[in-house]
Amino acid sequence: MKRKRLLIVAGVLCLALVVATLPFASACGPEAGEKTLKIGITTPSTGKAAEKGSPMGHANLDAIEYINTELGGVAGYPIEVVWLDNAYDAAKVVTNVKRFMDEGCIMFNTASSAMMTACMEIANRAEFPGLASFGSPILYRPPQHIYGQMPDYGDDWIAFAKYYMENIWKGSGKPRMAMHLLNNSTGYGARDAAKAAADKLGIEIISTDEHTTTTTSEMESLTRIKALNPDVLYISSTPAPTAVIMKNAYDLGLYPGITVGLGHASITKALVDIAGADIVEGVYGVFPTVNWGDNVPGMAKMTEYCQKLHPKDYGNMDYITSWAQSLIVAEILRVALENVGYDVLAKGDVESWRVVETQGIQKLKDFDVGGLHGPVSYTPGDNRLSKSVRLFQIKKGVITPITDWIEAPVVKYEEFDWFGK
Amino acid sequence: MNLPAGIRNFSYATDMAIFRTKTHWALLLALLVILLTAPLYWGNYWLGVANLIGITVIAAIGLNILTGYCGQLSIGHAGFIAVGAYTAAVLTNRLELPFLVGLISAGVAAGLIGLIFGIPSVRVKGFYLAITTIAAQFIIIWVINHWSSVTGGFTGISVPLASIGGFVFKSEASQFYLIITITIICIFFTKNLVRTRVGRAFIAIRDNDLAAEVMGITLFRYKLLAFFIGCFFAGIAGSLLAHWIGFMNAEQFSLAESILYIGMIIIGGLGTTIGPILGVVFIRLLQQVLTVQVVPFLESTVALPAGFASGVTPMLFGLVIVLFLVLEPRGLAHRWALFKSAYRLWPFSY
Amino acid sequence: MDELLQFVITGITVGMVYALIALGFVLVWKSSGVANLALGQLVLISAWFTYGMLVQAGLPLWLGFPLVVLFALALGWIIERFILRPLIAQPILSLITVTLGLGYFIEGVVTFIWPWSVDALPRLFPREPLHIGTAVVSQEYLWAAAISLVLFGLLSLYFKYNKMGIAMRATADDQMAVQACGIPVTKIFSRSWMFACVLAAVGGILMSSIGGITFGLVETGLKAFSVVILGGLNSFLGAIVAGPIIGLAENLGGGYLTPLTWPGVREVIPFIIIIIVMFLKPYGLFGEVRIERI
Repeated sequence: MKRKRLLIVAGVLCLALVVATLPFASACGPEAGEKTLKIGITTPSTGKAAEKGSPMGHANLDAIEYINTELGGVAGYPIEVVWLDNAYDAAKVVTNVKRFMDEGCIMFNTASSAMMTACMEIANRAEFPGLASFGSPILYRPPQHIYGQMPDYGDDWIAFAKYYMENIWKGSGKPRMAMHLLNNSTGYGARDAAKAAADKLGIEIISTDEHTTTTTSEMESLTRIKALNPDVLYISSTPAPTAVIMKNAYDLGLYPGITVGLGHASITKALVDIAGADIVEGVYGVFPTVNWGDNVPGMAKMTEYCQKLHPKDYGNMDYITSWAQSLIVAEILRVALENVGYDVLAKGDVESWRVVETQGIQKLKDFDVGGLHGPVSYTPGDNRLSKSVRLFQIKKGVITPITDWIEAPVVKYEEFDWFGK
Repeated sequence: MNLPAGIRNFSYATDMAIFRTKTHWALLLALLVILLTAPLYWGNYWLGVANLIGITVIAAIGLNILTGYCGQLSIGHAGFIAVGAYTAAVLTNRLELPFLVGLISAGVAAGLIGLIFGIPSVRVKGFYLAITTIAAQFIIIWVINHWSSVTGGFTGISVPLASIGGFVFKSEASQFYLIITITIICIFFTKNLVRTRVGRAFIAIRDNDLAAEVMGITLFRYKLLAFFIGCFFAGIAGSLLAHWIGFMNAEQFSLAESILYIGMIIIGGLGTTIGPILGVVFIRLLQQVLTVQVVPFLESTVALPAGFASGVTPMLFGLVIVLFLVLEPRGLAHRWALFKSAYRLWPFSY
Repeated sequence: MDELLQFVITGITVGMVYALIALGFVLVWKSSGVANLALGQLVLISAWFTYGMLVQAGLPLWLGFPLVVLFALALGWIIERFILRPLIAQPILSLITVTLGLGYFIEGVVTFIWPWSVDALPRLFPREPLHIGTAVVSQEYLWAAAISLVLFGLLSLYFKYNKMGIAMRATADDQMAVQACGIPVTKIFSRSWMFACVLAAVGGILMSSIGGITFGLVETGLKAFSVVILGGLNSFLGAIVAGPIIGLAENLGGGYLTPLTWPGVREVIPFIIIIIVMFLKPYGLFGEVRIERI
């Protein structure tokens, strides 16, 4: 039995060694001594949101790879990335951001708005600037140190509502809109926008319903909605529950009939696949980036790197978002570098964070991300960097754009007392 | 408790003491010194991990009292932690009460909610109780999400920093000291709880509650007490969690978290004081190592199939839980006890 | 009035789908006394396997479905052999927790093999909904309800008259006595798990043709628990009766309470029902009251 004991002692010693050396281990990266610009990226590459987070993480890294190898980095300095997975867990994203701050990163990116809400307090307190690809008004109203790459779900609603009033609504008086929301910030972002702006736009919100990500039947809520005689239904959700709602609406005879508008989280190919192209024919939707294969300058390089490094992600809309995000980060660093020089920028403490914000992010003006989404600019009082969306309509199973870039106006949510703190 | 040869107890106090020999005291002091000077050589990130471990330990200790010592299976612990977290958040944010008031109220609120959902435990046990606690978790999360006027609903609520007197716990190190102090108090409380009448009643109920009732232990009182204490700890942990993260959202408290807590105390060893600590440290470190070191390392060096990173964490955790249950159902604490006795009895250990 | 009819029809059909999943749970409980908390995940992995067969491998229906059944049988056998057999005499906490761990593991496997987490099966049923009076119900639900009833009938008959079925009931009652009678207990466990997995597979196929293959299948597994609690843990009749009751409560409650209270009331109704049942009649409508002796 001595062997068994020896084994146990050896095991415990190994464990102790591993634990003791963990604080001194670090993620791999370029060799020390090289002059780099360090940023942190955290994506939900595992866990509940992995089907979005994983391609987004890939896209972030692929774009940085492109910038470092073909563009020579930012004005000659390679970008060093500390990439950590947060598994869609709030506690983990908090420790990740603390690690970014420890390791001298000068700014950080996240993918999901929920993850950014979990760490924004810490980042805001430390003045560590962050860029969120998917946003929600709570992140940057009132504006502090968190910036949104793209318009949020509230902006989607406003853009759709404006388009609807100008182009689709032919009756007199106020159209009756029913809202069907996913039970998280995706859905409620649209509701907050509707609460703030529906009256001004001349729309009457007749009912607000919510559903879970995993709903299998919305017959009950749609029956109630049908009884209220709506003219338009706006769904702010993800593809699977939207498909369920559309199928149920089709069964009830509600659609085709009324107009249906979708937020950008659900108007993707997955929706057409799950619901069936015949059911979602004619549905409108809002999306803040282009589609794969569109004729824009940035499409070629992105397609090349995607096919080369992560071919399975081709066709995923979130890949476009995160590729663009990395391009924006490079631009922020380039602008900041121009204004203050390398030594101030790369220190990795509060000084450099302030500099990145004031001399980098806030000096962005009409930066074109290769046409992949609307132009990126900073306007004081509004932490959204890109404010334009496009409207699409599903025609014969293909999501086709029907407008050019529409700008979503800024809404000062914090002036309403029902807006959370 | 086995004592080395030559140690005798001459009074009741020394006989009942937790720390008997000088070695015990020495080791304890050494551990405390290492812990309390940790901020000097650990960076923010590892202090953050340590804080998270501390908070989880408090909650796990509560669950251990409820499930390990009293035998009431509860798979809704994340819900009770949420109650504590939100109580603290609402009291310190909306009503601007001081941190300590929020802390204690969080514990009491979670304890009371646990009490209410624990009432069925008097009539049912085993699987039925487990389902009741799962239902409790869902109801709690639903209420949090929909009571938006108070809790901020789906958007969430921000939580100001903890502060006692005028001192604000802003840095990671200061939060570390706060959390370590409360954790140590909780551990001591638990260790003593199981040695008192109440603790022995819990253990009797766990082993055979009918027999315990026959012996004169009022099941109603003690089972509900177990729920209250267990959820009180969860509430305290929730309050600390709220101040540590700074922004509360109900999405952070899912059923998977509750399952993970059960996994932690089972891997650590049910019904022991050191069990939850071992289990929590094991699981949290495994999580951190997987997501922080292993996955990015593998992703950047090896061309993995697309689903590897997303799937490996739940697979590994599920596998670990199952393996521990099948191979070592008494958990790491049992291994630790074996190790200690092997050390003590050497060279006669077997 | 139209709405009432619609709510009722929807409630009953949705409830029958829950009942189908609940049948699988009751089966395992009735024959081995194990609470299978991994039910939702078993449904999930069967649905994904069906997807793999029909879409990824492109097999025709008459080949794909039998393969799915074989897969479910194999899965049940593996689970019983390697996970539950070592834990035969352990306290209930270990059994419940091991199924929890198993569920977690299966979720990981699903994400590993099919990382894009949401997809759809090819259309198995005609799209046109059926009109009953002024209400509509899609054909998928009707098929699900019909299949649930057929399976319920088959299972009840099996457990009542078939030798193996009676042996299963005896095992759930008292394992040691059954062993003393010479009935191989391990074979019984194996068989009940295999059947339960097949039931889960059928439920998975039906549910994913309704709502796509998502992690929602796991949540419907949770709702099936409320059916099981209401109906009684070891009663097939209870599952079939309680399923529509829960479905009706959800839809009627949701339909009429939502305008008065908050949106989303519908999700919490099954769980409130669980709590109410626990307070009033813990063993459910048709369940057996366990008499415990010291």
